[in-house]
Amino acid sequence: MRLLVNALLLCTSLAGSAFADLPSDTEHGSQVATLQVPPPKHWVWVNDFVFPHMADGMAYLIDGDSGRYLGTLSTGYGFARVVLPRDGKLIYSPETYFSRGTRGKRTDVVTVYDAGTLKPLGEIPIPAKRSSNMPMMSNSVMTDDERFLLIYNFNPAQSVTVVDIKTRKFVREIETPGCALVYPTGPRSFFSVCGDGSLLLADVDDSGAAHQKRTKPVFDMSADPVTEKAVRIGDTWYFVSFAGRIYPLKADAHEATVGASWWLTSDAERKAGWRPGGIQQLAVNAQKSRLYSIMHRGGVETHKDPGKDVWVYDVSTHQRVQQFSLKNLATSIQLSPDEQPLMYSIFIDGTDLDIYDAASGKLLRSVAHVGTTPTIMVTP
Amino acid sequence: MKWLDAFSEKSARTLARRTSRRSVLAGLGSLILGATTVPLLPVARGADTKPAGGAPKADPGDPNSCDYWRHCAIDGFLCGCCGGSQSTCPPGTDMSPVTWIGTCHNPSDGKDYVISYNDCCGKSSCGRCFCNRNEGDTALFQPGQSNDYNWCSGNAKANIPYHCSTARIVGTAK
Repeated sequence: MRLLVNALLLCTSLAGSAFADLPSDTEHGSQVATLQVPPPKHWVWVNDFVFPHMADGMAYLIDGDSGRYLGTLSTGYGFARVVLPRDGKLIYSPETYFSRGTRGKRTDVVTVYDAGTLKPLGEIPIPAKRSSNMPMMSNSVMTDDERFLLIYNFNPAQSVTVVDIKTRKFVREIETPGCALVYPTGPRSFFSVCGDGSLLLADVDDSGAAHQKRTKPVFDMSADPVTEKAVRIGDTWYFVSFAGRIYPLKADAHEATVGASWWLTSDAERKAGWRPGGIQQLAVNAQKSRLYSIMHRGGVETHKDPGKDVWVYDVSTHQRVQQFSLKNLATSIQLSPDEQPLMYSIFIDGTDLDIYDAASGKLLRSVAHVGTTPTIMVTP
Repeated sequence: MKWLDAFSEKSARTLARRTSRRSVLAGLGSLILGATTVPLLPVARGADTKPAGGAPKADPGDPNSCDYWRHCAIDGFLCGCCGGSQSTCPPGTDMSPVTWIGTCHNPSDGKDYVISYNDCCGKSSCGRCFCNRNEGDTALFQPGQSNDYNWCSGNAKANIPYHCSTARIVGTAK
């Protein structure tokens, strides 16, 4: 026993002499991490409306290349998504708060965060009408010239809040009766989709006022309606129907036309029950002209169900160019916007973020325990 | 709680009793009626009271189960698991007077009923008995048929947090 003690003392002594003391953490280095600005193209924001505790909405930033969890935003009640300007310096987040957490006076704001520190730089008060719904990308968007932030309201009257990003002020509310959500179409224009399948085209002037025009119905909303989960490449919005039919919609401030529709599935595949589903079920990479869709088998009432398969299309030829299976069920997918795209995949009840090579479909890495009920993902 | 997994399996099982598009459209026609008068309807005063004419002779199934026939288009926590019932809100909450509707088939009497899914509001999410079924559900473009809106945030009385969802009979779908 004495020999053992002596040996241990010797080891300790040797170790002490072989290594210098670790530097003091209190005298060197910063106390709080900061982030690269602008963010790399392989970072992704995972938005979470935290359904079991909706006053505690959150957004999580993940590095897709390393799988490292980089930081968090705390974003209030009924959270939908962060909105990222192209220069990457700021983050806009439409948020709702109650003065006593889950009761008291409701206030809605756009919180402006510093993208490097994730600290709030300021708040822009907006009408307390922001729609609380299953989060959609089209809940909040910027006009293409990034002058105005447009936020969909539902109380249950429908309108769009216009925030001037330049002056950081609420400027106007645009009434959109019977029409929902916001899809930008140009420097200052957007459309909302109306219940009868028509569109409300709007052109926003310097004062934030909108010149509006209602089209004839462009979508059939009865037999096989389109979802809200459209994706955009250039001047074309790709809407998908519950059954998996793609409607390419070109729109600007004055007119809208739907091009020839095409299917995600063959006749045989439709008969076998294949259809798209999920919360963010489509994703696009504009550089590659690729459209990715989460697919599963089920009846029409499964149009929001998760899937374990991803099918990939060339939007110019409408041809399916790839199919691969996921490690886990997914309700949302997103693609990085670069030439070597990553595909992010997450399930609202699974919370592991899976990161794939979008070109090969190979799983690169998984990030465990990202949030509570993750919804839609936003890339820089 | 892999609710979407469970839901996927359930959807396949319940496909056969999914209501027709026609019945959904009939429900849409009732939307205005449902939105404005639901809280006053005698049939909506709770499961413990004996409903007046128009209510089913039998109300089969467990109201705290996602399989319950009235839940064909519900999306939320079942109020019966939270201190209320399929037609009443839990203590201390407020019922949203406007909501979305579904058309559900009662296997007992063979009739289709318009169901109003009034949300109960004013406390944080109940968190129990989550149920999501989407028979006849459409996109947010048609609010009266979409179960993806939080109806607690839509009016002065209930502009407060979402707690749970009821499934109240409005009447039979004609």
